[in-house]
Amino acid sequence: MWLPLLGLILGVVLGVLTDIQIPSVYENYLSIAVLAALDTMVGGIRALLQQVYDDKVFISGFFFNIILAAGLAFLGVHIGVDLYLAAIFAFGVRLFQNIAVIRRLLLTKYENRRLKKEENS
Amino acid sequence: MTKKMYRNITIISFVIGFMLAVQYNTVQDPAERTTVDIWEIRQQLFAEQEQHSELLTAISELTETVNKYEDAEFDNPEVLLQQTVDQLKERAGMLPVEGPGLTLTVGSSPELIGLGYEIKPVSPELLIRLINDLNRYNARAIEVDDKRLSYNSAIRDINGKTTINSEAIQNTDIEINIITFTYEQAEKMKNHLLASTFQDEFYIDNLVLTIHEAEQNILIDSVVPVQKSKYLSEK
Repeated sequence: MWLPLLGLILGVVLGVLTDIQIPSVYENYLSIAVLAALDTMVGGIRALLQQVYDDKVFISGFFFNIILAAGLAFLGVHIGVDLYLAAIFAFGVRLFQNIAVIRRLLLTKYENRRLKKEENS
Repeated sequence: MTKKMYRNITIISFVIGFMLAVQYNTVQDPAERTTVDIWEIRQQLFAEQEQHSELLTAISELTETVNKYEDAEFDNPEVLLQQTVDQLKERAGMLPVEGPGLTLTVGSSPELIGLGYEIKPVSPELLIRLINDLNRYNARAIEVDDKRLSYNSAIRDINGKTTINSEAIQNTDIEINIITFTYEQAEKMKNHLLASTFQDEFYIDNLVLTIHEAEQNILIDSVVPVQKSKYLSEK
């Protein structure tokens, strides 16, 4: 589990050190893309724990979600409806649900392990 | 299978980390675009340079005084002290001042008198604005309606009358005398007043402001206002 964490830290460090900035007009798109990426990531971890993980689903979900979210925000800007709020809402809700599922799964795992230990002793 | 899976998650988390960092950079320190053009920069530079030269002038004047003090330390310090006292008294309005300057006259607008308008003396707001502008253009001494202005003169409205140091301006026709340090400054002040909106603003109050030619010699009398001082006492 430490490898993905290392990747995250490496990405943050590289991003901060290179000091790349995007024009403030595109700030909204990036924030929504970050949210979509986080959602995919958490979804992936959940799938991993539930043992239903599929590489294709994960990778395609990552890119498709980002593109969809950014496209929705773009459309929203052009038709004057804040559609990016819909994306934020959808991703936000799913993020919380996925994190809740992960928590439950981890708790069950922990409980099982403890029970096993007690039985052995 | 697991290896590939971990590799993919690591790559994705790397991308997420990078995106987060970029977003953080953008939000924390948005790049500011420089929108000033060369002309504005020149103007700023000019203002700074002017301040610089003013400071240099002040420094050289003070150095001169210090040198004089040092030279005359053993001869007769009284003369120098007297000079300093005179300078301070002049600044406080306790000595008459003579020098190049400018005269402004304020009168009522003749066509409005003909129509029977009631014309009031100049308002304190307008007078304060005028005095501020005169001071900005290096006025050395100012006299309004034979009332010398000193550093703590109060121009205000008392019961509907414009007063200077609690003395009311009775007439609509008044004369404003200004003394500057040099004749050039007087000329500059005249041109500034002509270019400013003061004449229009006086006209809104039914008054006419006439700006006369700069003169080589103008005398402003001293007025000894009651200077309130809490800490100094004379024995």
